[in-house]
Amino acid sequence: MRINRQIIFVFTALAILIPLVKPIGFPVHITKEVQQVYNAIDELPPGSTILISFDCESATIPEMYPMALAVLRHSFTKNLKIIGMALISEGTAIGQMALTQIANEFNKKYGVDYVYLGYRPRMDATILGLGENIVRVYPQDFYGNKIMELPMMADIHNYNDIPLVVELADDSYLISWIQYAGARYHQRIVCGTTAVMATSFYPYLNSGQIEGLIGGLKGASEYEKLIDKPGNATKGMDAQSVAHLLIILLIALGNVAYYMVRQRAEKV
Amino acid sequence: MRRRIPMIVCFVSGLFMSLQFFVPHRYSRIVYEDALDWMQIVFVFTLAVGIGSIIRHHGRKLMKLKPGWFYSIFTLAGLGLMAMMGLFGGIKEGTPYMWAFKYVQAPMQTTMMSLLAFFIASAAYRGFRARTKEAAVLLAAAILVMLGRVPVGYFISPVIPRIAGWVLDVPTTAAMRGIVIGVGLGAISTSLRIILGIERTYLGKE
Repeated sequence: MRINRQIIFVFTALAILIPLVKPIGFPVHITKEVQQVYNAIDELPPGSTILISFDCESATIPEMYPMALAVLRHSFTKNLKIIGMALISEGTAIGQMALTQIANEFNKKYGVDYVYLGYRPRMDATILGLGENIVRVYPQDFYGNKIMELPMMADIHNYNDIPLVVELADDSYLISWIQYAGARYHQRIVCGTTAVMATSFYPYLNSGQIEGLIGGLKGASEYEKLIDKPGNATKGMDAQSVAHLLIILLIALGNVAYYMVRQRAEKV
Repeated sequence: MRRRIPMIVCFVSGLFMSLQFFVPHRYSRIVYEDALDWMQIVFVFTLAVGIGSIIRHHGRKLMKLKPGWFYSIFTLAGLGLMAMMGLFGGIKEGTPYMWAFKYVQAPMQTTMMSLLAFFIASAAYRGFRARTKEAAVLLAAAILVMLGRVPVGYFISPVIPRIAGWVLDVPTTAAMRGIVIGVGLGAISTSLRIILGIERTYLGKE
């Protein structure tokens, strides 16, 4: 049984578009790994500083951006101070957009409530360097201000002053954080990543090397539910659900067709 | 000599960085921090080499009108324009660079990524067949994880996300851990071979 590829494409487009236009409202269930990220941030005392590394490319913005916004909203709600940075060049712009958007939403003041360090090449050298002396790796922030002159950074010198690192990565950059910041400096790490990468990180979650994991748009929607602020991830869940059902239906159809052809061939 | 000097640098650097981990002396830390600075400085030069290589490759393609030369125009124009906008206009919010990132680069890349959904749907129909028992197990696990990782799975039955969680927590983790340990051991042995000068392919041909 042959189905024209274009027909499959049309059904896929409809499976994604219709739930986006007319939401079904499937309930979002919280998984333990997303709850762990939420708890790790929620349990920090107000005024603590967290470091968020925006290590994702623009191709994965639909998955990673809602996650970044949810984590930032939660952190600012808890009155945490945020240091933003990026280990890949495209992440610089994404981090800047997300941090500025949410800081404005919460009326947070640059240099007092949050700082954006920007991009540094060579993630291994950067992560290790931050464990020694932040000012040495970033003498200036993204906007050209001297780090030493920013009030928020006065008492922050290295990982000893940062209770939690949040790594938002669409590739295996988390492993560098675990190897260099986690293993060498015993830094606590939680991670947000794309759905396709999440499976690679479960060994690190089970071993305790990361304390929580937000996986893909589903993970982001769970986080939005936890902070009670539904956003684009929640909107996308119905579309993703229907698209998954369509793919399962296509797999089933393909297998039924395969067995029919095989049985016919055996009879001949 | 052209090969010996890089090998000596590699041996000394590799040995120092390995030993430094266990020596928390002040001087050891000073050299270590300098080494980290140098890693970033060297990277910037490799970036310049990379940009030069792209320009040379696409420049030649364009000059000789090789097949696909038309796309090289866009590659070079994109490279040049983004670099110019960043260098002369800055990369902060409200600059032409950020405008191009938000409204040109990001939509194009997300569009390319989104096309995967269509190809996966098509490939699911054509390729994912339970030809053997092992393939059938894989197929069943994939379907359960696909259902369990979206809200509709929980809607059908709360058991499905639990099974999906078990698949990710136990068999997937076991397999991934095996791969990670294997890769780690391989990386250690390759690093040792490079530090000791046994592995020399990074130096290029004689």
